[in-house]
Amino acid sequence: MTDFQLLARGIALAGCGIGAGCALIAGIGPGIGEGTAVSKALEAIGRQPECKNDVTSTMLLGCAVAETTGIYGFVTGLLLMFVAPGMFMNYLQ
Amino acid sequence: MGIQALLAFAASNETQDLVTVGPWTLIFQICNLFIQVHLIKKYLFKPINDILEKRQNLADKAIKEAREAKEEADSLKDQYESSLTNAHSEAAQIVSDAQKEAQVKADAMVHEAQKEAADIKARAAADIEQEKKKAINEAKDEIGGLAMDIAGKVVEKEINENDHKKLIEDFISKVGA
Amino acid sequence: MSKEFSVVGPKIYATIHTGIPILGDINITETLVVTWIVMLIITGLCIFLTRDLKMENISKRQAFAEMLVEMGNNFVRNNTGGTKFDKLIPFVSALFVTSVVSNLISLIGLRSPTADLSTEAAWAIVVFIMITSTKIKTNGLGGYLKGFTTPIAVMTPFNILSELATPVSMACRHFGNILSGVVIDGLIYWALGLASSALLGLIPGVVGNFLSKIPILGVGLPAITGVYFDWFSGCMQAFIFCMLTVMYIANAAEEG
Repeated sequence: MTDFQLLARGIALAGCGIGAGCALIAGIGPGIGEGTAVSKALEAIGRQPECKNDVTSTMLLGCAVAETTGIYGFVTGLLLMFVAPGMFMNYLQ
Repeated sequence: MGIQALLAFAASNETQDLVTVGPWTLIFQICNLFIQVHLIKKYLFKPINDILEKRQNLADKAIKEAREAKEEADSLKDQYESSLTNAHSEAAQIVSDAQKEAQVKADAMVHEAQKEAADIKARAAADIEQEKKKAINEAKDEIGGLAMDIAGKVVEKEINENDHKKLIEDFISKVGA
Repeated sequence: MSKEFSVVGPKIYATIHTGIPILGDINITETLVVTWIVMLIITGLCIFLTRDLKMENISKRQAFAEMLVEMGNNFVRNNTGGTKFDKLIPFVSALFVTSVVSNLISLIGLRSPTADLSTEAAWAIVVFIMITSTKIKTNGLGGYLKGFTTPIAVMTPFNILSELATPVSMACRHFGNILSGVVIDGLIYWALGLASSALLGLIPGVVGNFLSKIPILGVGLPAITGVYFDWFSGCMQAFIFCMLTVMYIANAAEEG
């Protein structure tokens, strides 16, 4: 293995790690969104306590849908951590 | 192929990629899903829906029967009530009829009695009148005779029959008046 | 206990060479085997629940089965507003049950079939075909194709993209959530194994060597995190997948 190959592998691994870290920034969005959703739901329940069940189930559904982007980020991060390095290592042999 | 081969397969350390879509796995999973749908339909939904439908029919039948029985009871009740009302009115009719009849009878009796009384009274009055007339006539005759006798005796003067009679009648009419 | 942590895909138990160019070899993976186990479990449960049904004096088992059927009926009817989609009820129920059991089967140590993108992709493709066929049935082929050019013709590529994004997002959402559960469970077990081996390795001699191989700390804590990562997100994602299926199909039938 030449020094050049070693360098390339190092850069690839570093890129994967940094990318995974960046991908998990996507968790901010759903966090804020779900917080807003829950706070609004709580307000609604406070105003109309008789609608608690409806509001809760709808809120959970909305939260789960809003979480999608976070999950995308998470999957991307996983890919970069566990799948991409292997791919690059194979490629850079 | 035998157990050993299978075990060898099971022991193999080959793995799929973490995030990948295997075409054959995809096709198999689609088939699996449809098989699962079919199985669930056959073993869960069909028997349960059948039994639910049967039970609903049973309940509907029971409700229908109950409603019919209630209607019958209602009609019977109506019938009884109407017959009871009829009986009441009939009784009232009978009573009123009897009362009317009694009234009529009583009225008739009173009337008859009154009539009889009136008759009796009238007869009595007529008798009295007749007796009175008779008495008066007798009295007239008596008085006429008496008067003639008296006159004949008192007035010596001959009086012809006609004058005589006229005189008496005048007298009587004067007395009668 | 391995010192390195890695998440691997489903194991391949057998490979059948077919020679078909694009599809490649048939891999009998862990996913398929566990899916068959799941199907066996569900079918066995159905047969068990519907054994000797009665009209009156029903057993608890039958009451439970009837409750499940009623729940399925109500779920589809409430979300589509009517009995127009009664044909969908077995499909949605099968999807939901398969999804829940697949997600929760990781609790007994098997690898969830839903932690393989192929499974969700298969479901999402079926749902996508159903949505599209409902749309074509409602509007006709011309109306369906014309729907892409609304509001203006320039939007066509974006409309096609958003149409294609539906199955992709459905599949990736479910897959990502389950995979995250798998990864986090794996991480927790790995970390607890390391911790217990480090802790018990302090005991000198053969006893310490033996005890340090047993991840004794792995008892307890994963059960607590499993409540969220396996139970909650497993049931939630199954519910959302079915909810979205029903709502997309109902919407497809409504568009004039």
